Amino acid sequence: MSEMSRLKFYCDEGRCIECDGCSIACAEAHELPAGINRRKVITLNEGKEGLEYSLSIACMHCNDAPCEQVCPVDCFYIREDGIVLHDKETCIGCAYCLYACPFGAPQFPREGAFGAKGAMDKCTMCAGGPLETNSEKERHIYGQNRISEGRVPVCAAMCSTKALLVGDAQEVSAIYRERVLARGHGVQTSPMTWSRAYGTK
Amino acid sequence: MKRKMIIIFLALTTAAFAADSAIYGEELITNILGYGKEGSLHLGQWFTVLQGKYFSIGFLIVALGIPAVFLIHYLIIGPKVFSHDRKKIPVFTIFHRVIHWIAGVSFLVLVPTGFIMVFGTTFGGGEFVRICKDLHALSTILFCISVVPMLIMWFKEMLPTMDDVKWMMILGGYLSKVKRPIPAGKFNAGQKMWFWVCTFGGILMILTGAVMFFQDFELAIIKSMGLTQIDFLRLSAIVHNILGMAVAALFFTHVYMSMFAIKGAIHSMITGDKEEEEVEILHSTYYKQLKEQNKV
Repeated sequence: MSEMSRLKFYCDEGRCIECDGCSIACAEAHELPAGINRRKVITLNEGKEGLEYSLSIACMHCNDAPCEQVCPVDCFYIREDGIVLHDKETCIGCAYCLYACPFGAPQFPREGAFGAKGAMDKCTMCAGGPLETNSEKERHIYGQNRISEGRVPVCAAMCSTKALLVGDAQEVSAIYRERVLARGHGVQTSPMTWSRAYGTK
Repeated sequence: MKRKMIIIFLALTTAAFAADSAIYGEELITNILGYGKEGSLHLGQWFTVLQGKYFSIGFLIVALGIPAVFLIHYLIIGPKVFSHDRKKIPVFTIFHRVIHWIAGVSFLVLVPTGFIMVFGTTFGGGEFVRICKDLHALSTILFCISVVPMLIMWFKEMLPTMDDVKWMMILGGYLSKVKRPIPAGKFNAGQKMWFWVCTFGGILMILTGAVMFFQDFELAIIKSMGLTQIDFLRLSAIVHNILGMAVAALFFTHVYMSMFAIKGAIHSMITGDKEEEEVEILHSTYYKQLKEQNKV
């Protein structure tokens, strides 16, 4: 697989203003039930002057996704462009993917018998699921499929400070480099969370 | 105005909901920062490697290897057959039997459904495996009811004795067909091993299983030990799987012994009586005690 076709998320901690717009846009666009948060904004070093910053976190669509490795029913599949998706009709809601995930991405509605965990829900990078693309059933179970229509995932599309970016890995990297150079400080070799999600390269 | 109030109320309650979570709240940050880093417990990575590669191999060995060993044992050495014409010795009261069978029924559900979940892909996932997952949780209730009475009712007789060392040395005499008195009290070392794994191990299985079932809760003891909820879940899954292998292995052994290796042994758990010859040979120490007390 060429690097050209690999889609990645990047959240610029210098730009994120913790407005929570991304997580609300996501929940609204996909009509998520209450208690399910595919995307969350977290604040690190809270209260520490100069060190406090916020990040928007969801499934990072990792290389060698650990969720895919531990799934006992193998309901995950990784697309050519790197998007990690899963089949909710195969998923048994065991939550092993949550234990393996570094980002706490998998969510579990309480819907089964006696309050058992239902099928897992997570960010699809707005790429739907294994069902017929843009079908009513796909939208109902997995949410919007914006990727198929060539549209940007809703979280990044509405990010007012353009802190949250998603797209081709090389283009995102180029924007990252540009921003780091423009700021002239805090030079990191790669964005936070990238080494964990995409490996060190 | 009223609408605005509702929106504010909803916003506040959802914020409180998120903050209350022991996984997706504050602890999410420690998980993201700590995952696989120096100083962390590396449980996320340990779980990924173990579950990704080794657990299914372990369960496969238990599911195929142990029955295979027993099949070979049955074909080469064969079952022990004792006379059913001599006297019957009452060994299990009705209380013993009821408690045993409550646990027995729960195991007959727990063990197969557990294996179905481990090999979920083979069974195609989806509705069938999901139902097995629910049955696994439900039958745990039966085991919960029976495990404490079982622990208490057999506790004294299950304590280790010198006979157990001797029994272990000859593997309970199961490697030969000769009927020699085997050193054992009311329960032999094999039964004792099963008992302790089943009770204390079983209680640990209930606890780790409950942790995974309820998932998002806060426990002060865990926090005070410096363990985050997500690491607690990872640890529970690891313990549940490894202990599950041991319990399943001994469960298969227990079934083989009672149903095949000693002909008719299962009847003692139905009628409560054992054949005199069976007790004389397989539980020789117990038989001597009964003789001294003039009970036989």
